[in-house]
Amino acid sequence: MMIQMENNIVTFANNNTVNKEMPIQINVEHVDIYYGDNHAVKDVNLPIHEKSITALIGPSGCGKSTFIRTINRMNDLIPSARCEGTISYKDVNILNPKVDVVQLRKEIGMVFQQPNPFPKSISENIQLPLRFAGVRNKKTLRKATEDCLKQVGLWDEVKDRLDRSATSLSGGQQQRLCIARALALKPDVILLDEPTSALDPVSSSKIEELLLELKNSYTIIIVTHNMQQAARIADFTAFFYQGELVEFGETRKLFTNPEKKSTSDYISGRFG
Amino acid sequence: MNSKVTNRIALSVIFLCAAAMAAILLSMLGYILVKGVTSISWHFLTTSASPFLAGGGIKDQLWNSFYVLVITMLLTVPIGVCGGIYLAEYAKPGRLTSFIRTCVEVLASLPSIVVGMFGMLIFVNYFGLKYSVLSGALALTVFNLPVIVRVTEDGFRALSRHQKEGGLALGLTRWHTIKTILLPAAFPSILTGVILSAGRVFGESAALLFTAGLSSPDLDFNNWNPAAPNSPLNIFRSAETLSVHIWAVNTGGIMPDVQTIANGSAAVLVISVLIFNLIARMLGKVIDQKFSGK
Repeated sequence: MMIQMENNIVTFANNNTVNKEMPIQINVEHVDIYYGDNHAVKDVNLPIHEKSITALIGPSGCGKSTFIRTINRMNDLIPSARCEGTISYKDVNILNPKVDVVQLRKEIGMVFQQPNPFPKSISENIQLPLRFAGVRNKKTLRKATEDCLKQVGLWDEVKDRLDRSATSLSGGQQQRLCIARALALKPDVILLDEPTSALDPVSSSKIEELLLELKNSYTIIIVTHNMQQAARIADFTAFFYQGELVEFGETRKLFTNPEKKSTSDYISGRFG
Repeated sequence: MNSKVTNRIALSVIFLCAAAMAAILLSMLGYILVKGVTSISWHFLTTSASPFLAGGGIKDQLWNSFYVLVITMLLTVPIGVCGGIYLAEYAKPGRLTSFIRTCVEVLASLPSIVVGMFGMLIFVNYFGLKYSVLSGALALTVFNLPVIVRVTEDGFRALSRHQKEGGLALGLTRWHTIKTILLPAAFPSILTGVILSAGRVFGESAALLFTAGLSSPDLDFNNWNPAAPNSPLNIFRSAETLSVHIWAVNTGGIMPDVQTIANGSAAVLVISVLIFNLIARMLGKVIDQKFSGK
């Protein structure tokens, strides 16, 4: 089915904030990912700039989720997954098997498509990872809970029921809680794998606003199915197709003047 | 036949099956309770059994049933839950894992009399534990362990993958994710499985005939020193449980009120299992609420 989408309805709310000066925080070089014999991601090279939003777009099955899950080694959970190449972060190749994945995941946090708060109280959702990271002081924990919830704009909505189950929140609130939980560990990078695709439009736009705010302090990589979303919030966009990184560039340029034909076909809705 | 009719037929068949099941259960329970409740009295519950006179009770047997159950659960639950966690979370798919899983399944389907004979050969004779609470509990462990392993594994597998990913993505180690997130989330289903298996253990007789024995010493309920031969807590004494008692009384009882004793014991057994279920369910609910926030 063809979905007609004219380029001119895409808006660029974020186009003034692109900062080319931002140094590269994560550099991806020649990354190949396999599931058994299936070559899911092919020779990807991609710079991720500090304190900016990089969006990964592309049709389903193009490898973008696989790729983002490699950046904090979540693909280790899949026994058949294998990864080659270099992802350098702080002068270390993340893909090196000797890397301490527990520490890595504290610095590179992740938020998933399906909001996944733990079936525990709201405050416990934020305090559990903190306690594991060694924070024991109750006052510090309470303060951190408040700070994180304020950062995601959830504090006023939940401050009177912090001991209620997190699963009693709405989907959008749950997803913001998951982002708050990831922020609690003060990561450098936050990975978001289609964070709004299970949410209604109002909740989605709240999350988008939140991400635009968060990029002042964090590096954000987001996988999205929604091209307008990428256009609205991302500084850089990478277009994946059939496991290859077809095109990468500043969002405005990629959407208005793509170099490759398949990019322009995809963003104008000719496939995908 | 149109689909509406098919739908209605399917619904009726399912409803009938469910109703038949409930009816069988209720009529059996009703039969046992109606016949047995009249024999239950405080005297019946708190008097020792008499080998040949009328008016004996089931105090020791009742205690033995609970005691063997507790010891069995102390042995099986920790080992079974650990085994289940291993199979669900750590074991890599492969020959060894499927071999372990097959063993668990075979173990679970062993007839209990076979487990009893095995228990007699190994625990009673080879290890010299004689007819004792411990031998009985060990035999029941053989028989109950696979159930707990299975229940735990299923409980963990039923959890959403997202919970585990959420924990790991927050820099928790695998073990910490299991301990603080997955185990509490799986707890209600594990507890339900443990309750059901406890009912089975409580009512088991064949596996206990040759392991816990057909007699008990005269228990002195004032002597709680576990080393004393007639102490209720001694795990090296023989222990006839309630269900073994029902079997023994029915097959070879020479007291004049055999029927009354058998009926009363059966009713007590059923009521105990029911109470046990209810308490454990309530406990599970409370604990679940505590873990997951109000």
